[in-house]
Amino acid sequence: MNHLPTTLFQYLANHSIQQLEPAWLKLEKHSDIIIDMGGTWQHYSPKIPQTGQSATTIFDVLLGMLPIHESFELPQVQLKNEQYTDIFAIQDNGCDWLLFCDVTQNTLQLQQYQQVSNDLILLKAQMKQTLHRYIGHEVVARIEQGEMLLDAAGERKNISTLFVDIRGFTPFNERHDAQIVMQTLNDYMNCMLPPIMQHHGMIDKIMGDGVMAVFGVLPSQHHSSLDALQTAKQMIQAVHQLNQQRLNQGLEQLGIGVGIASGEAVLGVLGSHERRTFTAIGRHVNLAARLESNARVGEILIDEATHQALAKPISFTPVTLTLKGIGQTDIFSQTLPCTSNQGKL
Amino acid sequence: MIQKKICILGAAGVGKTSLTAQFVYSKFSEKYMSTMGVKIDKKMLDIDGIQVNLMIWDIHGEEKFKKITTSYLRGAAGMITVIDGTRPETIQTAHEILTRVHTDIGNIPNIFLLNKHDLTDAWDISEQNMAELQKYNNPIYTTSAKTGEHVEQSFHALAQLLIS
Ligand SMILES: Nc1nc2c(ncn2[C@@H]2O[C@H](COP(=O)(O)OP(=O)(O)OP(=O)(O)O)[C@@H](O)[C@H]2O)c(=O)[nH]1
Ligand SMILES: [Mg+2]
Repeated sequence: MNHLPTTLFQYLANHSIQQLEPAWLKLEKHSDIIIDMGGTWQHYSPKIPQTGQSATTIFDVLLGMLPIHESFELPQVQLKNEQYTDIFAIQDNGCDWLLFCDVTQNTLQLQQYQQVSNDLILLKAQMKQTLHRYIGHEVVARIEQGEMLLDAAGERKNISTLFVDIRGFTPFNERHDAQIVMQTLNDYMNCMLPPIMQHHGMIDKIMGDGVMAVFGVLPSQHHSSLDALQTAKQMIQAVHQLNQQRLNQGLEQLGIGVGIASGEAVLGVLGSHERRTFTAIGRHVNLAARLESNARVGEILIDEATHQALAKPISFTPVTLTLKGIGQTDIFSQTLPCTSNQGKL
Repeated sequence: MIQKKICILGAAGVGKTSLTAQFVYSKFSEKYMSTMGVKIDKKMLDIDGIQVNLMIWDIHGEEKFKKITTSYLRGAAGMITVIDGTRPETIQTAHEILTRVHTDIGNIPNIFLLNKHDLTDAWDISEQNMAELQKYNNPIYTTSAKTGEHVEQSFHALAQLLIS
């Protein structure tokens, strides 16, 4: 061991031991009978052990573990709510020992990390299943039925593409701990994903706090533009409801913005046999992404082609925007209530 | 009265704590609080007129970087291995745990619970998965800590195994 000057060693030892609040029992060799004891037992048990007693009667945790045949360790045993102790069973010459050390603080800290990591495991599994269900299976089935081509050039089709994302999620992420961020993201995703599926859309990608979906690939009774628009409206409505709940709970509200564009796209399935993923590539796909990034909270921005296909609904007002990489573009806008106190985000 | 210790094992988030809470307190919560180390609960059962005090060790989830210490299983008369029926990958974790328990502790009575059976849409257990588990020759139950499906029955079945 690294040699420390006695004073420092003493200091460190006292410091660590104090935190651990150790309590110990000396047991008769090969038995569970207490022959001596010491330390802060009141910290661990309402019943204070007495010499001559069986250790098991004080701590039923030890049931089946005594006498000690070989030294062992029971880490992080939760005694009462929110109190954790490490238990050491130690063999010695002529006697055995039981040592209890409080590890509550450390354990509660570790719990926070553990929680985030475990939440992620569950969320990932859920997302994987959702994606597989709504992209994988259906696309694979359609290919097998010959409804979708799988050649390298892909299939050309008129579709509508929708992009949505949560406004202000990045700063939110920076302000809160990971567990809250994951839970919040999950809650908002639960507002955004189901409407896509209900309106025969397919989730193309989930990118952090945003989603890309395409309409017009899976069979539907409606035009792809209408399905996309209904999805957008339902998403905003669901987020509005969530925000009302969050307002009541005193939680921060987040809004979403949507962009929709329609046009011809090349549809294809990329990847190997097991991991085929569907994707849409087309000029209007970029446009939809640009529109989304310009949309404000509660705003749906649609391109001219979508507006035309919807038979020019009067609820949309014309706007001209200069879009990055695209230039001046005539588009249409509608804003719906999304946060419970709009404007005061 | 006889006392029996049992351990509940499985991957993180499969529902070990929820099953215990349903069995002992008839309670269920959607909120997930990961278990650290081990938490011990007790319940008195009447098995064919015999009073059995069941000590239930609800152990933290097995993970890549946090394996379960088999010292928790010292003195255990039986064990429950929980699998999340919506995540077939948790079967692999169950295999790994059982292999380690068999090496370190030996063969103790075990039952499998395929949990979260109320989530019918997400349920993802194949015939092949079932066949793999059946090789152990241990009882298998589908359970839901949420609705209580087969929770009481499965714990009772294990207790029965322990006193027979
Ligand atoms: N729908 C449903 N959810 C369940 C069921 N059992 C558990 N859950 C949920 O799954 C999550 C994890 O449950 P826990 O009981 O904490 O899982 P655990 O196995 O104890 O997790 P660790 O202690 O981290 O290993 C919680 O959100 C529970 O509400 C079930 O039968 N049905
Ligand atoms: Mg648990």
